[in-house]
Amino acid sequence: MISFEQVSKKYHEKNALANASFHLQRGTMAFLTGHSGAGKSTLLKLIMLMAHPTSGKVIVDRQDLSQLNRAQVPAHRRKIGLVFQNHQLLMDYSVFDNVALPLKISGYNERDSGRRVRAALDKVGLLDKERLSPQTLSSGEQQRIGIARAIVNKPKLILADEPTGNLDPALSAEIMRLFQQFNQVGVSVLIASHDLELIQRLPHPVIALNQGRISGSASLMGH
Amino acid sequence: MALFSQTPTQNASRTRPESVSKRLVREHKEVLMSSWKRLWKAPLANLLTWLTLAIALALPAALMLLLSQASHLGQQVNQSSHISVFLSLDTTHEQGLLLSTELAKRTDIANVSYLSATQALAEFKSSSGLEDILSSLIENPLPATLLIEPTNSFLGPDAIDKLTQQLREQDNIDQVLVDMAWLDRLQSILAISQRFTYSLALLLALGVLLVVGNTVRLHIESRKEEILVIKLVGGTDAYLRRPFLYAGFWTGLFSAIIAWIILQLGVIYLHQPLLWLAQSYQSDWQLQGLSWMGSFCLIFTSCSLSVLGAGLTVRRQLNLIEPK
Repeated sequence: MISFEQVSKKYHEKNALANASFHLQRGTMAFLTGHSGAGKSTLLKLIMLMAHPTSGKVIVDRQDLSQLNRAQVPAHRRKIGLVFQNHQLLMDYSVFDNVALPLKISGYNERDSGRRVRAALDKVGLLDKERLSPQTLSSGEQQRIGIARAIVNKPKLILADEPTGNLDPALSAEIMRLFQQFNQVGVSVLIASHDLELIQRLPHPVIALNQGRISGSASLMGH
Repeated sequence: MALFSQTPTQNASRTRPESVSKRLVREHKEVLMSSWKRLWKAPLANLLTWLTLAIALALPAALMLLLSQASHLGQQVNQSSHISVFLSLDTTHEQGLLLSTELAKRTDIANVSYLSATQALAEFKSSSGLEDILSSLIENPLPATLLIEPTNSFLGPDAIDKLTQQLREQDNIDQVLVDMAWLDRLQSILAISQRFTYSLALLLALGVLLVVGNTVRLHIESRKEEILVIKLVGGTDAYLRRPFLYAGFWTGLFSAIIAWIILQLGVIYLHQPLLWLAQSYQSDWQLQGLSWMGSFCLIFTSCSLSVLGAGLTVRRQLNLIEPK
């Protein structure tokens, strides 16, 4: 699903990522670890085309990302469900409208969009809150709205950047269970997290980053 | 994995039978409505923008309206202009009559009326009130006069010049007077006003572009967060541009409507004094409000300028907002 081949990314002569190579198989759920500044965000940004590698090749879903021009970036992003640490919800939108945003962009009509949004909200257990403003909900609920938005378009790949960063252990475990459920129906999931305790309890492969280099990796990697 | 390589359009039409054009029409309708609703979220701020633009539109439009009608008035006056030809004093009555019938045959002359020296004196006596002094004269000091009305198609300055030149070369003609100087002046004034109006219109059009551009820039700034999220979930540039272009359209429409009202109020206000002025020149000229065509032009210009202003800004501003 994702391949990095000798990928480096420099910001102001400093290596954020150095010669990173790994391969995430289709349908795999994996963790990306490392303390802050280790290159986790950079790696996710390269996948989302929010940044371009200084050297090396990034391939997502058999597509070499360096071959995509500016106009093709939106279509690439629509293939990926993205979950942020700070939710990135729009507070002047209702819960429903937040989740419906990716569908609206893709041109779904109201009926189809409504059905899909409710299915996604049902999956994260917030079906009864669709008319509320995200502001009135708890941090854990807000994160679940973010997840509903990421899956509403039925992507084959979900990226999550510190999805449990602000949550207590019980809520974190609940969020991880959600990701596992999506993975069970064939979705590839890559979660950046520094919550080692939580990660170690889960049976998923780990890509460990240290100062821009992949320092350790578990069984999944093809390379 | 076929799912991935599909464009959103194909993806969408797979789930429901809707053609691309139908989808586009629906999407545009949705944006039209949502941008309409957004207008009323900040009614006062919008009203102020519309008023600013309306004034910028009404000023050149009013000048153009006045000019187009004033030049019409100029033509009317032109048509009633005539040439006075004074015959030499030794011309006999018969010679005068003969000359007048000959001249009347020319294609560039519509009508010639002959006023003999005696008639001229009688007319002058009755109109001047100098009867006694004039009666004491032994000889009639006044020449016979021909009043020449040129044909309509020969009313241009060049044609008139040529005609007077030829008249001066005729025998028995002493003096040719054309009261054209003031007409020339009127034409020059109109030409100056016209250029002034066009320059002003151009400048104010530029002003409209800048005002709309700045308004859109502020709108984009206030919706920066939303734009970032939309970019991250894969919204295309066209999708992001659309609401701002429609907002530009609404701005143009409302500004034009306000400008139209300002213009019509101005016409009503000026109507009476202009009527008096026209009447003093025996003209039935009246200042008319904007015609249907004129109103359409005003609205079309305003909407085009606003959408253009929004378009020029939105492209640049949206490029500045990129997820980092």
